Order: sequence, then structure tokens, then C-alpha cells
Amino acid sequence: MSQLIQSEKMAALGLLVAGVAHEINTPMGAIHSNNDIMTRAVAKIRKLLGPAPDKEISRLLDILGEICRNNEIATDRIMKTVRSLKNFARLDEAERKTVNIHEGIESTLTLLQHQLRNRIRIVKQFGDIPEIECLPNQLNQVFMNVLVNAAQAIQDRGEIRVKTWTAGDAVKISISDTGIGIPTEHLSKIFDPGFTTKGVGLGTGLGLSLCYKIVQDHHGTIEVESSNQGTTFTITLPLEA
Amino acid sequence: MTENSNPTILLVDDEEMVLNSMKSFFAIENNYNLMTYTSPLKALEDLNRNHAHVDLVISDYLMPEMDGITFLAKVKEKLPMVPRILLTGYADKENAIKAINNVGLYQYIEKPWDNEDLKLVIRNGLEKTTLLHQLEEKVREVERAQRELSEVQKDILRVFA
Repeated sequence: MSQLIQSEKMAALGLLVAGVAHEINTPMGAIHSNNDIMTRAVAKIRKLLGPAPDKEISRLLDILGEICRNNEIATDRIMKTVRSLKNFARLDEAERKTVNIHEGIESTLTLLQHQLRNRIRIVKQFGDIPEIECLPNQLNQVFMNVLVNAAQAIQDRGEIRVKTWTAGDAVKISISDTGIGIPTEHLSKIFDPGFTTKGVGLGTGLGLSLCYKIVQDHHGTIEVESSNQGTTFTITLPLEA
Repeated sequence: MTENSNPTILLVDDEEMVLNSMKSFFAIENNYNLMTYTSPLKALEDLNRNHAHVDLVISDYLMPEMDGITFLAKVKEKLPMVPRILLTGYADKENAIKAINNVGLYQYIEKPWDNEDLKLVIRNGLEKTTLLHQLEEKVREVERAQRELSEVQKDILRVFA
């Protein structure tokens, strides 16, 4: 039951996110373009001023140029986030699609950037894997849940390693962290709905159970190994579901 | 389009900020004459009324009055030779692309757009218009020559008949 509510919530969130992304795109497009026009205008003014321009005008143009470069970095960041949001939410919920799951992993990592930045190094070891038929937005939920858990397990600084490879008729994804690890007595319960070690309001205890359900729906498996050196989740997804 | 006059572009987007940005861009980069409309209906009205010379039409996709594909299809009825470009910020590109294939558009540009791409797409579109006009001209010349030739043929036949 809770899983049903959760997936309905995710569907509503997906629609909201896609709507917001679309709403941001138009003003973003205008700002992005206007900034490009300003850059071009500054270059033209410089050309008109000739080889020995007034010092103060030259200084002001330098400032304008710097601001334009800064704006470009800022707008690029917003556009990248919006793209990732759209990718992550994927409106085509109910549709099975043949996709390369690296795309989903990349989008998820982009959305998590603010949680990881400066603190956690991401190591990607992407293998040569075929596209698989799946529900992409649901698999993105799995990556998101596991990656958030991995980030939370790392107390100070550490590393998250995302590895993909082909094994027989299946694609494998492993996500390893250098965090505190999961106590042995908890390992058997982590996929149970409602099980959480996070404080009240921090975790619903539904994240990993939802992951389990999603992977099961894909006829795959999700396994966990843990020690005090860190935790590895390995997801196996068959090529032919 | 005559060789030395500036091309005229008709631009429709319900968002003023998009029109303003593109207007500024072409003011600084090219000397295109821009006709801008926030209302596709108003744009059609003007097109129908004063046979304004237009070399290229760009339209947004999602607009409250009429979607861009419908608008461009109506433009096609009026100006079949003019390249039509769709501007799309639509979350689901696939539907837009399907529609594009049905209406036979020249190109589509995704929002947020890149000015350099926009410039290139428009330049190529205008070039296409010029080439089409030249082709039209050549076809007319050939037809004229053929008519003259058949007149001559008739004359010859008359003489020998």
C-alpha cells in the first residue's frame, strides 16, 4: 500500500517537475540569448573604439565582459539542471523504453551535485553496456535512493564509485561508498518497508523497499554488501525483461 | 526577394521577452526586417490583408490562441514557398517532431535556443528562398522560350503547309 502511495506521489512530482522545467525554459532562453547579445555588443563597441580607447571606458567594458562570462556560466548551470530534471522526471512514466541507463545515472548525479560537491568524489567506471528495455524514470528513482544513501553514509569526505558492466544476459550496476557501513544485524532488514535508522523526519524507511520493488518489477535483483569500510549495492537487470 | 533589399522575417511568440531578444539579436548581427507578433491570429490577419512580403516565418509551438504547427500550416496555404521554422520549448519533443513531419516544416529550433544556430538556420532558410525564386525565374524563362519556339514552329508549318 505504501509503495502505491509512494509511486503515485512520484508520478505527481514528475508532472510538477516537467511543468516547472518547461516554465523555466522560456525566460531562461531569453536570458541566455540576451547575454549572448551583450557579449557581441561589447565586442562591437571595443572594435569601434579602436586601438587606444579611453581608460575608463575600457575598464567598464572589461567589467561588462566579465559579467557576461559569469552570466553564461550561471545560465549554463541552470539549463543543465533543467535538462536533468526533465530527464529524471521523464513524462513517459508508464511507457517502457529502450535506453542506455548511463543517461539516467548521469542525470541523477547532476541533481545530487549540491549534496556531493567538495565532500565526495564520484568515480565513474562505465562499461560498454547495451541499451535495455525498462521504465527509465523508475530506475532513476533507484539510482537516486541508493546514491543519496551512499552520500549520507559518508560522514566527512569520501568516494562513491559507480560501475557498470555486462555479465551474461544482464547489465550490472554497482554503487559503492566509503561510508560507515551497515551493521550486520540491519543488513537483512534494509529492504523492509518502514525500516529506517535515520531520525524522525529524515527518512521514511520506504526508499530501499521501493528500490527493491522497482528492480523486482524489472525481473532483476538488488544486493548489498557492507563492512565498516563501506557499502556496495549491486543491481542486476536482465537484458530481456 | 530582390538581391539587395533586406530580407523580412515574420516572428510569432506569445512571450514578448522572446520576441525582444530575437529582435535585439538581429538588430546587432543582421539587417533583417522583423515583423513580430505575440498573437498568431493577428499575424494571419495581417498576412491576409496586406500581402506583405515575407521571406521566412518563425513560430513558437505552445501558444494560447493557436499552436505553432496550426499557424504554420495556415501560413503554408498563403505562402507555400516561404520556409517555416518552429520554435519549441515543449517538454515532449516527439509530438512536435511528428507534427513537423506532417506539415513539412523547414526546421525546428529548441528553446533555450543558441543564437549562432538560429542565425545559421535562418541564413540557410533564406538561401533556400532565394534559390527557389531563381528556380521559379528559370522555369518561367524556359516556358517562355518554349512558347516562342512553338510559335516559330507554327509559323514554319504555316509557310510550308
